[in-house]
Amino acid sequence: MRKLFAIIVCKLGHFVGKLIGKGSSMPGKFALKICPDILRRVELPRHIIAVTGSNGKTSTVEMIAAVLRADGKTVVYNEEGSNQIEGVTTLVLTHATLGGAVRADVLLIESDERYAARTFQFFHPTEFVITNLYRDQLTRNGHPEWVYDAILPALHPETKLILNADDPLSSCFARGREAVKWFGLDKCSISADAPTGAYHDGAYCPVCHAPMEYDYVHYNHIGAFRCTKCGHKKPAADYAVTAVDLEKAVVTIDGGVEIALAFRSIYNIYNILAAYSACRECGVSGDTAAAVLGNYLLKNGRMQTFRLGARHGTLLTSKHENSIAYDTNLRYIAASKRDCVVLVIVDAVSRKYFTSETSWLWDVDFDQLNVPHVKRVVLAGRYGNDLAERFSYTALENWSVETDIAAAAAALKSAGDEELYVVTCFSDRDKILSRVEKEG
Amino acid sequence: MDVRIIHFYPDLMSLYGSYANVLALKRYLERLDCDVTVESVLPGGGTDIAKGDFFCMGAGTERAARAAMEDFARYAQPLKAAAGDCAAMLFAGTAMDLIGKTVKEADGSAYEGLGLASFTTEHGKRRIVGDVYGHTDLYPEAVVGFMNKCGVVTGVETPLLTGLDLGFGNGKERGPEGFHWKNVFASQLTGPLLVKNPKLLETVAAAIYARRGKPLPVDRPLDRWAEQAYAVTEEQLRLRAQAK
Repeated sequence: MRKLFAIIVCKLGHFVGKLIGKGSSMPGKFALKICPDILRRVELPRHIIAVTGSNGKTSTVEMIAAVLRADGKTVVYNEEGSNQIEGVTTLVLTHATLGGAVRADVLLIESDERYAARTFQFFHPTEFVITNLYRDQLTRNGHPEWVYDAILPALHPETKLILNADDPLSSCFARGREAVKWFGLDKCSISADAPTGAYHDGAYCPVCHAPMEYDYVHYNHIGAFRCTKCGHKKPAADYAVTAVDLEKAVVTIDGGVEIALAFRSIYNIYNILAAYSACRECGVSGDTAAAVLGNYLLKNGRMQTFRLGARHGTLLTSKHENSIAYDTNLRYIAASKRDCVVLVIVDAVSRKYFTSETSWLWDVDFDQLNVPHVKRVVLAGRYGNDLAERFSYTALENWSVETDIAAAAAALKSAGDEELYVVTCFSDRDKILSRVEKEG
Repeated sequence: MDVRIIHFYPDLMSLYGSYANVLALKRYLERLDCDVTVESVLPGGGTDIAKGDFFCMGAGTERAARAAMEDFARYAQPLKAAAGDCAAMLFAGTAMDLIGKTVKEADGSAYEGLGLASFTTEHGKRRIVGDVYGHTDLYPEAVVGFMNKCGVVTGVETPLLTGLDLGFGNGKERGPEGFHWKNVFASQLTGPLLVKNPKLLETVAAAIYARRGKPLPVDRPLDRWAEQAYAVTEEQLRLRAQAK
């Protein structure tokens, strides 16, 4: 009876929530109060795929869903983004019959990395994709090893792990397990010889803390790592990007499957590869996956184009407190060829909680913007001075500060026609998007 | 004046932008016409403590800190001697744990610290995170920072921050924070403390000068971006503290 009541309350709550533009986690919260083990009592699809990690969760989940649906499968997933147990409960119950059966081929769950163990205490995924683990929202997550320890209890012995072979830390999840599939990038055109970035989290082995060596890296400390002492090293990938042609915007998987890139970012490549691997493990053919993932345009709005006066602009949403997300977008700008101006906005560090914490700015490798085609960098927002202090330690000289975002936008609108890149977070992006003409 | 900064384990103990403390101090001293050398000490490497003017270590993960301690222990005697001789030192984040007597881990295991101070740290399974707004006896301005730890410190008799208006201190909410003895500055506050607190940077620089028997020059560099950034954060956190 409690089960039925919880399902009805959740469905009603979700319906009402949608009418007022809310409701992705609250209905699940109520349902869990009524029936705390409701997720154990429901009948779930045969395939349950979970995706977690520091970066790429939302994009990877969206692409997995698109591929599986193209393959004829019915997929239920948390498109609304609530990725803790309350949101997952809402997702499951709103797609369940009153008897508690989720009528779908696949339940696909984006899971918050720190709360995955709580989410999966009543059921476990058949496949668990972990995209990567590195510095992300340290104000909330502590540090990557803390998050690693939080995820570990969420990994049921029967769950097949789909792991990033190039990540020294998240690859440790495979220790002592047999059901593991790996995805990774071979040495290719975008590889560097040594780790890059403002800090070096790959300097020491996460297992034994001996020094690590790299044959090559793809970004920061993600690449072909090798401990000099304990043998922890990049495993052979089951699904590998074997070639990358950023000029033509094409990657090749396993030497034969070509996928066109809608967005020429290393992140996009890893997200595509993670999605491809998960779908292949669910029985989708390489051709079907490639057809969907080719030129796939993400719907999550993290990259948006717009016009501001005579300028064409691109918003590159970068999570504050996530230096690698910033680094990746700065790398994208650095790799572009056209003259441009870059606007960096740090106004509200988080949209979810208050903090004045700006230490993470020191983890971002802003020196990547020290290329001839970046003509100017404008630093804006309440923490524009913190940005300026950080920039004063870079080799860049062509930067200025305008803490008032409206004034910064007005100045950029009134003069100049170079391309404009805006680098900021979800918490701040509407502060610029409300002042531009968005493109389709 | 020649100044030698000895930075312990810059890659291993590098969380939260800790390295910026070294950059900030180096630039500050260079703007005072000092000739500054920064020596990075790696695990298994070596250094002559007697030649150092400033010693520092940043925050690391709990596992990294324990790994660092395995190497750091061999510097116990010379570092304690240098501290007793008023050498300037900064230990931030989990590095502070390492200068105490013992560190007890969340799994119940324990290891010895440097023994430069008599406090003990006990790690737990709860992460203590949040902004900090506090006060020190060293100067009138408030100290701002961010706490990100899982340890509770007991046994500090001379804290760096004598009181907090906001945030978690050594052992409790709004309790005293950090450790200060002679010119040893230690705080579990993470990240670039000296960047966020220009007055603390000046205090550390003054300590280096004082050990050489010199006062800090009257004409000192003013880092306007750091000052303005401090002013914004100080106001934000003060208002936050007042609202609580």
